[in-house]
Amino acid sequence: MEDDVVVRDYLGRLEAAAWPLPVARRAELIGEVREHIDAAMSEAGNRDEVTIRNILERLGPPEEIVAAEAESGVAAALPIGGQPVSAAVGSSPWGAVEIIALLLLTLGAIFLPFVGPVLGLVFVWASTEWTRRAKLIATTIVAVLLLLPILLLLGVRAGAG
Amino acid sequence: MHGMVHGQTRSPLTELRRGVLEHCVLAVLRDEESYAFHIVRTLAAAGELVTSEGTIYPLLARLRRDELVTTTWRESVTGPPRRYYRITSAGRQALDAFSNDWAQFRDAVDAVLSGQPQGVQHGG
Repeated sequence: MEDDVVVRDYLGRLEAAAWPLPVARRAELIGEVREHIDAAMSEAGNRDEVTIRNILERLGPPEEIVAAEAESGVAAALPIGGQPVSAAVGSSPWGAVEIIALLLLTLGAIFLPFVGPVLGLVFVWASTEWTRRAKLIATTIVAVLLLLPILLLLGVRAGAG
Repeated sequence: MHGMVHGQTRSPLTELRRGVLEHCVLAVLRDEESYAFHIVRTLAAAGELVTSEGTIYPLLARLRRDELVTTTWRESVTGPPRRYYRITSAGRQALDAFSNDWAQFRDAVDAVLSGQPQGVQHGG
């Protein structure tokens, strides 16, 4: 159906624009906007293309919604109502999960060979602050560093045998 | 001259709206809890407060993060469960502080715009 294509296209743009957001928040935001569209359609009692285009028009460009999200992250350091809030900590990429992940990936590799970095990756993926891209990069580095000695060892054995 | 910059897409009100809007959300929640779509509709009905309705969601996320509101999921008769927003005591404090500040700010701006700065007002 034409209207579904319009909505899907809109949500696709939102998803693309929301790429830099933390994974959990991105999924939540897309869900919220999707629910908004559903609620607006049932309010209108109509699902024709004009109605849907008007709903999306009122929502505004996906890029603008994501920009507001980024602004609110920055603005978290400037609490409203003049109350000093430790919200700036919440917007920092260094929560407990992230610190544990880094320790396991670095010191863990020395004190807990193989196990440490693998556990570290579990914490990396548990983080809601780091982006998917950062997580994929971390995983690739660990995978290469773990696989390299194994492959070298197999190569030496094959050469000896 | 000033104000005639061509290609300037954002009105001065866009900047102003941003800081004001979150307190307007708190005001909507002052007497009763509500869900996002209803909050948006209430603000839209008030006039020129919300331009892009979607930007209300990042704003609500910030209010949650700053613990000025709490949320509860509730069943809805018409559709999927809805997330209801309720103002916290910190939210009330922020709202009260803003209401005071806003009244003074509005009066000062009005006085200057009308050419009657405070202190030299002529009684009406």
